[in-house]
Amino acid sequence: MAKKGVTQSPKAGPKTKSPVRDGKSVEKKSDRRKSFEPVVEKMVEAYGEEWEDESDEEAPETNGSKGNKRKARDDEPSEEESDSEDSDHEHGGIDLEGIDDSDSESELDSDGDAEKDDDKEEEDDDEEEIDVDELSAEDEEDEEQIAAGTRVRQTINNKEGLLAALRRFALDTNPKTVPFAFHQSVVSSKKTEDSIPSIDDDLQRELAFMNQALEAARQGRALLRKEGVPFTRPTDYFAETVRSDETMQKVKAKLVEDATAKKAAAEARKQRDLKKFGKQVQVQKQLERQKQKRETLEKINLLKRKRQEGGSSALGATEADDLFDVAVDNELRSAGNSKKRAATGDSRGAPNAKRQKKDAKYGFGGKKRFSKSGDAMSSGDLSGFSAKRMKSGGAAGGGPKKGGKAPRPGKSRRKAMAGKR
Amino acid sequence: MAAVYKSLSKSASKADKETDINGTVQRKNKQRVLILSSRGVTYRHRHLLNDLAAMLPHGRKDVKFDSKSKLYQLNELAELYNCNNVLFFEARKGKDLYMWFSKVPNGPTVKFHAQNLHTMEELHFTGNCLKGSRPILSFDGAFESEPHLRVIKEIFLHIFGVPQGARKSKPFIDHVMGFSVADGKIWVRNYEIREVEKVKSADDNNNEDDKSKKGKSKGSGDKDTDISLVEIGPRFVLTPIIIQEGAFGGPIIYENKRFISPNQVRAELRKAKAGRHVARMEQQRDTLARRRNLGLESGGAKKRDPTGLDTRELFA
Repeated sequence: MAKKGVTQSPKAGPKTKSPVRDGKSVEKKSDRRKSFEPVVEKMVEAYGEEWEDESDEEAPETNGSKGNKRKARDDEPSEEESDSEDSDHEHGGIDLEGIDDSDSESELDSDGDAEKDDDKEEEDDDEEEIDVDELSAEDEEDEEQIAAGTRVRQTINNKEGLLAALRRFALDTNPKTVPFAFHQSVVSSKKTEDSIPSIDDDLQRELAFMNQALEAARQGRALLRKEGVPFTRPTDYFAETVRSDETMQKVKAKLVEDATAKKAAAEARKQRDLKKFGKQVQVQKQLERQKQKRETLEKINLLKRKRQEGGSSALGATEADDLFDVAVDNELRSAGNSKKRAATGDSRGAPNAKRQKKDAKYGFGGKKRFSKSGDAMSSGDLSGFSAKRMKSGGAAGGGPKKGGKAPRPGKSRRKAMAGKR
Repeated sequence: MAAVYKSLSKSASKADKETDINGTVQRKNKQRVLILSSRGVTYRHRHLLNDLAAMLPHGRKDVKFDSKSKLYQLNELAELYNCNNVLFFEARKGKDLYMWFSKVPNGPTVKFHAQNLHTMEELHFTGNCLKGSRPILSFDGAFESEPHLRVIKEIFLHIFGVPQGARKSKPFIDHVMGFSVADGKIWVRNYEIREVEKVKSADDNNNEDDKSKKGKSKGSGDKDTDISLVEIGPRFVLTPIIIQEGAFGGPIIYENKRFISPNQVRAELRKAKAGRHVARMEQQRDTLARRRNLGLESGGAKKRDPTGLDTRELFA
């Protein structure tokens, strides 16, 4: 079938003068066959243009094709040898080409886009076609191609046909002849796609679309105002809307719900954070307390050890001091105010260099030997003696027994007491 | 309301007269759109259809069309309803939606594949507009670049543009329809035009100008409002597939080579899934063949070389 299309095409032009459509369909078949070959896209498009042109023509002449023939001869041998496919492809277009060249002139005058078509012709000349004589040989190759398979997708982009169709039904939107209110369409000056960095980026994409629409809306409003067409809806104009009140209420409710949910979530998070923070504070306080306690205990232990080692006399502690742990208190106080002490250079701090030297040489606080043994002083010391206690007859002696405990009752009395119990 | 409309329409007609005086020929833009779907549409397709019908006061919604192959019958149907445009939703396999935009008597037909459909209802946007108000149609600059896009643009203009003075249209303009080309597809959006107080600009000159203009155009609203857009919906993306020269018929004058049928996409997916199994089976077969060749397989001893050069035969 495809073969038929090709072979016919050169003759079909003149024969089918009136039914342009038929000629077209034939062309299309040939076109379709063509594209089975792995063809460069550009080629296909160029091809499309060719046959489109053809569709508009009515009476092809032979002049053009002859010219083509002559030109084609030059390229022929090399093309055939090197790349049969390519030549084959070009060949398909040949007849149309000739027709095209020859006839386009008549139409161009009427159409007015002569320049464009001229350009096209030049292009066509560049990619020259092959002779009609080669036709049969080429066709065999074509058939092989078809048998080989039709994998490459063929595309149609009949630009001429599209433009013709457009011309047939287009509304006049020329701003000079028609008021804007007639069509209300705005074509933006730039391509929106250029301002979209990535099609998958929803936000950017929607923003680009919105910008395009916004620009159009501004432009449209200005034009409509200039033409005196009412634009803004007055506040007292009520009419049915696209989306019913119900829907809008639903939307509003959803918005409110969303907002409250968000707020609640924020509140909850805040509370959570606060809780977490509060706990942290608590833990810190506890730790601090523990630390303080540990320090205090440590200090007390240290002091005790010191006192055990050095004896209370060395520190100059009296009995009363011992009783109320004054030294401990002093020690604690010293720890608390150590900074202040250090600043003032207190006696409790490190002694001066001379004293240190002397301490090193002679020892600190004198000798400890015999410190507990009695001597003349201690025997002479009668501060612990009281005649009264002596007289009360406490053999236990020495203890701080003022008034004293009642002496132990005699045995019989004790027995009696036990019997009572 | 009627009084407002009357006064406004009077002023509009005055404007028309003015243009007539200018010497331009008033061409009547008469469009009617037949909106219908095939059988087998999903609820979402149906809702989209309803949304579009609500936006098109010049549209005529009809019952579902029975056939998917004899689309040319739509021409007669459209003629019956006095419509010169057809917007036809063709659903396939209960999931794919193809939208046909056609100019009926002899205009071109464009077939689109519609994806990413979102109806007004499900989008929860806050925008809203009058039912049947005329939209401003905003086209991407790319629509002027290619012939097929120009055709598509023109068809959109006919079908989505509400003609001036359409029967059920409202006299104010409060929404924009955006058509953008990106990634070889056409993205359709619908926004409400909301006029908001303009943020005071730094230069006072502008303000003064505005004030003077405001004095002049008191009737047509305040000049010093700015425009902001709020989306209404629906949203959808159209991939052009083909353009036919006739109405539901005629030669194909454009075919999109970038379009891949959703069936094919699904098939590819399935094939990719099946690929693992196929590969495994192939490997198994290879192993089997190798083992047989080595004579390891039970039953099948190594085949003798038919040329007679087999070692066993040579040194027997």
